[in-house]
Amino acid sequence: MAHSDDPSHREGRYDRRELIRRAGAAGVSIGVAGSGFGQAFYGPLRFKGRWLKGDLSLITWAHFVPAFDVWLDKTWAPGWGEKNDVQVKVDHILNTLLPARAQAEVAASNGHDIFFDLAPRPQFEDNVINHKEIVQEVTRKVGKIGRIAHKASYNPKTKKYFAFSDNYVPDPVVWRHDIWNGIGMSPNTWDSVRRAAPRLKAAGHPLGIGQSAELDSNMALMSFLMCFGAFVQNERHQVTIKSKRTVEALKFMADIYQRGETDDIFGWDPAGNNNFLYSGKGSMIFNAISATRTPEDTRLPFASDLWIWPIPKGPHGRMGYQHVMGSWWIWKFAKNQAAAKKFLADLEINYKDAFLASKFYNFPSFPGAFPFAKIRKAVAQDTHRPRGKYGVLTTIAQKYTTNPGHPGYSNAAFGEMFSKFLVPKMFAQVSQKKMSAQEAVNAADREIKQIYAKWRKLGKI
Amino acid sequence: MKEKGLSYLIVGPFAILLAFPFYVMVITAFKNRAELYDPSVTPYWFGKQSPTWDNASFLFHETQYPRWLANTAIVGLCVVAITLVLAVPAGYALARLAGRVGQSLGVGIFLTYLVPPTLLFIPLFWVINQVHLQNSIWSLVLVYPSFTVPFATWLLMGFFKTIPAELEDAARVDGASRLKTLTRVVFPISVPGVLTVVIFSFSLVVNEFVYAFTFISPSEHKMVSTGVYTDLIRGDLPEWGAIMVAALIPSIPLALLYNTFLDRFIAGFTGGAFR
Amino acid sequence: MEALAAARPRGRRLTNVFERPGVLASVLISPAVLFVLLLVGGPLLIAIGLSFTNATSGQLHGKWVGLENFRNEWTNPSFQSAVWHTFLFTVISQAIVLVVAGLLAHALTKNFPGKWLLRFLILLPWAAPIALSLMAWKWMFDTSYSIFNWTLVHFHLSKPLEVPQYLAEPKLAMGSVIAVHAWRIIPFAVVIFLAGLASIPKEVHDAAAIDGATGLRKFWSVSLPLQLPIATVALLFGIVFTATDMAIVYILTQGGPPPSFSTEMVTTWSYKTGIEAGSLGPGAAISLFLLPVLAVVSIAMLLFARKAEVS
Repeated sequence: MAHSDDPSHREGRYDRRELIRRAGAAGVSIGVAGSGFGQAFYGPLRFKGRWLKGDLSLITWAHFVPAFDVWLDKTWAPGWGEKNDVQVKVDHILNTLLPARAQAEVAASNGHDIFFDLAPRPQFEDNVINHKEIVQEVTRKVGKIGRIAHKASYNPKTKKYFAFSDNYVPDPVVWRHDIWNGIGMSPNTWDSVRRAAPRLKAAGHPLGIGQSAELDSNMALMSFLMCFGAFVQNERHQVTIKSKRTVEALKFMADIYQRGETDDIFGWDPAGNNNFLYSGKGSMIFNAISATRTPEDTRLPFASDLWIWPIPKGPHGRMGYQHVMGSWWIWKFAKNQAAAKKFLADLEINYKDAFLASKFYNFPSFPGAFPFAKIRKAVAQDTHRPRGKYGVLTTIAQKYTTNPGHPGYSNAAFGEMFSKFLVPKMFAQVSQKKMSAQEAVNAADREIKQIYAKWRKLGKI
Repeated sequence: MKEKGLSYLIVGPFAILLAFPFYVMVITAFKNRAELYDPSVTPYWFGKQSPTWDNASFLFHETQYPRWLANTAIVGLCVVAITLVLAVPAGYALARLAGRVGQSLGVGIFLTYLVPPTLLFIPLFWVINQVHLQNSIWSLVLVYPSFTVPFATWLLMGFFKTIPAELEDAARVDGASRLKTLTRVVFPISVPGVLTVVIFSFSLVVNEFVYAFTFISPSEHKMVSTGVYTDLIRGDLPEWGAIMVAALIPSIPLALLYNTFLDRFIAGFTGGAFR
Repeated sequence: MEALAAARPRGRRLTNVFERPGVLASVLISPAVLFVLLLVGGPLLIAIGLSFTNATSGQLHGKWVGLENFRNEWTNPSFQSAVWHTFLFTVISQAIVLVVAGLLAHALTKNFPGKWLLRFLILLPWAAPIALSLMAWKWMFDTSYSIFNWTLVHFHLSKPLEVPQYLAEPKLAMGSVIAVHAWRIIPFAVVIFLAGLASIPKEVHDAAAIDGATGLRKFWSVSLPLQLPIATVALLFGIVFTATDMAIVYILTQGGPPPSFSTEMVTTWSYKTGIEAGSLGPGAAISLFLLPVLAVVSIAMLLFARKAEVS
């Protein structure tokens, strides 16, 4: 009996109906696949696609809020599967290795039906279905797709949705109210941040705006550029980094670093600025709300002094990137595309549950799925001090967040520029006085233009 | 006496230096999270709320850690077996017998070891898929020998060369066939080399993670490193304590085992050489 | 017994074939060769093919672009510095490994109380899964929680905001990855050296003793030459292992602090280009640059190892 060998049964992941169906199917296919049953113990998935019509496999990250994964794996996916007569299997791998796995799946033309990553991956456009149908279906139920999600998952050149975005995560500034209060200031504008910098450092609490080769630094610095009216690309996806505003922004940030920060900002990994804050040293960082949840959970003494605000205002206004741009896609070679499409559509249509399970981390890409007014009410229920601290997230998500690649669309060239950390590199050149601001801009411009030329040649932008 | 003192002087400081990270691991593994994040608590010792079993219990109750350990052990043992079966004869042949063809084959084996694994996993995944081993630990059993065999072959070649040919010649003069010489004289004397290969291959299996990550995604089939990385590093929030527990559990028995192997080389073969 | 006796003539004929060294050699070597070539040969050819195309993200085909990828990278400053860093990383870490492991192995051949425990401590780094022990190093190098910096501040050797940043300062970052890599390899090199020393048969020592060789002279004229083949192979694999491994650099520094990216290696640069940024063709080209260099180094060393036979 092959089934007694299948560990998934012992763990009770199949309901009775499924078992009966599997048993029947096994009877039929045993002649074909029988020789493989010895290995079934370690690879029960091997035959699934062949003898069960209704299987659906997903791969996604390990969510920064573990409770979200519990909800997805144990509540949402099985519940949806039961309703739709589909066996859903969710796999998680480390977020930084998702691109590697995605490439391997493409190379083999085999893998999961649905793939998730934290950022749009337009480079896979040729390997995925057009997700337009899902967008239309969700639009019919809850209204239009949000501007951010649209621009992060649609390629205007090829007129294709290369991904389906279900959520995005606002990226606030997290700051120590007690320390800033001590010097009588607040990070409302970049100007006040600069003025506060030397005084904060003198008090032993430097600022923590990363200039390292990692996600948080990348996001913070590109947001900072936007507050100064400097953009990597324009609406027509031409490189516009070479501008007076970029030069000005670089000098401004170099000044903040030299007077108010220490060298550690160049060596951080994604956990670097969190530790900087938790150690009680840091007075301000850019991060999603995982940076305030941990101090709350571990009851760090200053947890109630951690305030969340929108990005400081610059000469060009207040504008920031999201921290995570949730993107799902269905491979062309996916075996169960029909189920995959319905799964994603249903997930988004019922996004309220997902939002709450993520502890206000994931904001729906379709504003109609769980409207901001309702989010505001839900967020107000949070009891952590200062009361209502998470309320501002809604404002940030609604007003001050935009897509990677703004004012253009997210595209493969922008993605490569992002992966190679060219923006943090440009900032660090100036902060460490290795180059003048103008030289650093010129150098970055050259490298970025090369990348854009390459992708333009490939017909993707 | 003077010699002993000198040995202590060399070995002592290096042992402390090399083991220091493990001291930090032990402290971190049993430290309460609030204390870990509190800079006023010394990193060299516990605070008032520690030591605690919280991290270890999280690892064993909230993740499939025991399963990952078992997977790693199975893959490790299989790879070691395959490596020995292929590499011992090949290494011997390279050291003693090979003519021109054999030598170039040997160099050929070696050159495959130079192939950078950074991108090789992409076409390899295609191969894995062709033989229907995706998401199975057997994919790793198949692939890992590709880097353990070349190394083991050449390392064993080195060992076989240290065995004076006279020993074999003596056996052959006594009338033993080549095969018999091989099994009765050469293989027993090459135990240190074989054990080194065992240590090497097993550790590489425990260490490798690019293939392990890309070939296997269901949690219950993961290896130790990949499972821990996915379930215990939540983006910017590593579960430091639990990770340290996870690192210590395989390290200590493996180091003990390796150390016992070392005793075996030295006691078994050198006789009084070093006394 | 009868069955065995009956089988003997055939067995003898078979044995006779094996008496010819060439035949036996081929039989012994070919399984290893076949296994490795069948497994790696195809994928390697695909990778070489890719490096001449503009393939993107996981597609195993693309438009033929000739040597363009190689030319582009050759002139790319990021690539050039990656080559230099790889060289430094490999040479320095291997030099440290060789010296320290040589010293330790030699000292460990003596008997002294507590040796077993000390040897256990030395072996630990090689026994730990590197991906996990690197998390301990990350914690020890952490910009805010570093145990080294805690010590410095505690003993007033440094001010809290002026502590060294092990992964953020270009030279320190390189030093850190070299140190961690050496830390990881030393135990294994000790094992190889010990095994090498141990496999020298007693007869050789006896012969040396009869010739009156002792101490250092014995080491130079007997132990060292006998160990040369093993030491060379060990060093060679150390070099290849260091140059092609990316775990330590990728996990500790992700290529190093901007703007210098002082620990960007050929492997990490190839991974960033080919996998993370999705330019698979150029990524493959970058990773293949190492191949001819390593091949030349290896063949030279292998020839040396083969020559260095016991006379």
